[in-house]
Amino acid sequence: MTARAAALAALRPVLSVVLALGMLSLGLLLLGYAPLPALLALASGAFGSSAAWTATLLKASPLLLTGLAVALSFRCGVWNIGAEGQLYAGALAATAVTTRLLPGAPAAILAPLMSLAGAAGGALLAAIAGALRAFRGVSEVISTILLNFVAIQAVALAVHGPLQEASRAYPQSDALPAAALLPAFGRLHLGVAIAVTLAFGVQLLIFRTALGFRMRAVGLSPVAARFAGISPERHALVSIAIAGALAGLAGAFEVAGVTERLYEGLSPGYGYTAIAVALLARLNPLAVLPAALFFGALEAGAGAMQRTAGVPSVVTQIVQGLVILVFVAIPFEGRRAPLPGAPADGAA
Amino acid sequence: MHVLLGLVRPDTGRLEIAGREVELASYSPGAALRAGVGMVHQHSALVPAMTVPENIALGAVSGSVLFRRARVRARVTRLAEQYALDVPLDVPVAQLSVGQRQRAEILRTLDCGARVIVLDEPTAALTPGETQALFPGLRRLRDGGSAIVFISHKLEEIEGLADRVAVLRRGVLVAVKGAREADARELGSLMLGRDLPGLVRLPAVCREELVPAFALRDLEAPGLREASRLKGVSLAVQSGEIVGVAGIDGNGQRELEEVLAGVRPMTAGRIEVSGRPVAPSVGRLRAAGVSHLSGERERGGLVAGFTIAENLVLKGSYDDPRFFRGGLFDREAARRYARGVMQRFGIEPADPDLDIATLSGGNAQKVAVARELDSRPRVLVAVNPTRGLDVGSARFVNEQLLALRFEGGAVLLVSTELDEVLFLADRIVALVEGRVVSVPRDANRAVLGAILLSGAVQSAVA
Repeated sequence: MTARAAALAALRPVLSVVLALGMLSLGLLLLGYAPLPALLALASGAFGSSAAWTATLLKASPLLLTGLAVALSFRCGVWNIGAEGQLYAGALAATAVTTRLLPGAPAAILAPLMSLAGAAGGALLAAIAGALRAFRGVSEVISTILLNFVAIQAVALAVHGPLQEASRAYPQSDALPAAALLPAFGRLHLGVAIAVTLAFGVQLLIFRTALGFRMRAVGLSPVAARFAGISPERHALVSIAIAGALAGLAGAFEVAGVTERLYEGLSPGYGYTAIAVALLARLNPLAVLPAALFFGALEAGAGAMQRTAGVPSVVTQIVQGLVILVFVAIPFEGRRAPLPGAPADGAA
Repeated sequence: MHVLLGLVRPDTGRLEIAGREVELASYSPGAALRAGVGMVHQHSALVPAMTVPENIALGAVSGSVLFRRARVRARVTRLAEQYALDVPLDVPVAQLSVGQRQRAEILRTLDCGARVIVLDEPTAALTPGETQALFPGLRRLRDGGSAIVFISHKLEEIEGLADRVAVLRRGVLVAVKGAREADARELGSLMLGRDLPGLVRLPAVCREELVPAFALRDLEAPGLREASRLKGVSLAVQSGEIVGVAGIDGNGQRELEEVLAGVRPMTAGRIEVSGRPVAPSVGRLRAAGVSHLSGERERGGLVAGFTIAENLVLKGSYDDPRFFRGGLFDREAARRYARGVMQRFGIEPADPDLDIATLSGGNAQKVAVARELDSRPRVLVAVNPTRGLDVGSARFVNEQLLALRFEGGAVLLVSTELDEVLFLADRIVALVEGRVVSVPRDANRAVLGAILLSGAVQSAVA
């Protein structure tokens, strides 16, 4: 890749964000809203004060973890659509361990155990999809989507049944014991810092380890990988299990850092937005940091925009969609899209 | 050619068909078809489950809503007789041979009213006999007033068929000559851009040893089709010897390659290196000194999207302490190693960070050769190692195979290119219907072609 093409490729996410915001402004204008105040309200709701920053970071943290999960599995050619379900599985496991299994354990044990349980829950759910693909050839796109329903309904079942709070007043779990909660600075819990650290960890895993090297080979060319002695099946399974652990951790951090209880609708679709986050980051773990921050800011600023500028908060979801559509429509590496029917390499 | 077919729009220049300049702004594949330009692609573009007339009706520009089977069939029959293009019309294309499919494709372009017919490497997958059968039809088309563009890198075919020869090199038209004035040597150096001295093939240096360097004993493996199932393949390659396995695609070459590369389980038999059995996995085979080179990038283990350096360390072992230590991947070490390898094998441009996908087929294959041969393996399994390469790169690959042989390597050359097998191999066997058939020592092209075909004929009867 030439330097110019590389620069263009790196600019693509930024360009798509700018274009999407431009398109949104145009839409707002047509609907009779003033775009500038709306965008300013959005920005100030996301970054205008320390409370706004906290809200943004709390929204960005689960997006970061699930975005890393999606990026990691996509890198290995595993189209994992199941980060949402894996997040719920992690939240379920973390809640079960802390409210039912070991509610009396000291903080030094319970908080790490809670995190481990969350990671394990997500990894197990993801491994089902990985194993189905490795041993039965089932497309992980289908299985992860279906497992999302399973995990989400399992949480519903749990909070109406075995994990429901002692008072049986609402379909929610007991509050997690204080020893299980993540240490926090104000509302900002330790999970945010762990998520940021994990972004560097996943970067190292993908680009600096033998396992990451093999996973990338599988993702780029399963046939070549197989001929080079790398099992695509085994690596698909490993990569989706690690991805599940990351997403599960996001779920555990939500219950132990934000909501302090498990209930239905815990996630506003973090695991789905994660796909957009990962794509916008071009599957680069470090780039998932700003991408998650951007989408977190949209979520956090939406309410402020509605209150201050009177623009319905759902338009931020339109922006999320627009960004990705614009992103994939921008021609990259300086190449024009080929005419229909023309082979990509233009051989003869 | 894609410009002529309307698939790619040229930046500048003019295009004239039958003396009329074409409006380039609106020139599309449809417009090309209407202007009478048709192409026979290298890879068949026919629907396997349909018969030839059905396939032809698919591409027809009649504008009719109804499919008039009898009418199309009659039309195709007439064309086939007129141009001596014999094809069975009532069986699915899947049951046709490669040569028959090609004739069907020519019929299709004719049915569309093509007067300019482009054939892209039409003989690549044909046996010598099928190639000879193709030519009379093409001559008859020419005599009927059609213009034929015949793309090939096989010089003897061009000499035998063409009236005029144009040489393209790196996108530049370097010469147009009457076929009578150009000889093969001159065309070769025009294609290469420099003189090509004859490749020197030293006499065999191998000795008949009791224990061959590489041996296959009664190898059996499941096949993609019954004809390609391996049915007890036994072979031995001495060190310092190239054994050629000639054959037509679909007779077990892919299966044999996959077994010897360690990616297809065998159901019976043994692979032996210097007399010792080797478990048929990628890692074990490589550890025993068996390298694998393929004419197809992916099957050769080249990962598009990986840099040259990354591709050079993809070797079936991911705990090689030079590059992978304590589970970590040392990018810098891989780069340093890549620079050395590229220098030793003369690969240009010598930038280890280039994505392999950006290299030409020839340069990518040089990277594969460098990876497989840098460790000076005891055994090399080379499968169509020069397929689709330009003259210079093919020459490089052949030189490397001969060099390895001279150093005492055992080379198993599985190839559908008879000339390559005849030139490089010290001993030749044929792979027909998943079985090894012996070939007389003094076999020439015609004899070898007949042996390959005889297997196919037998199967048609059975």
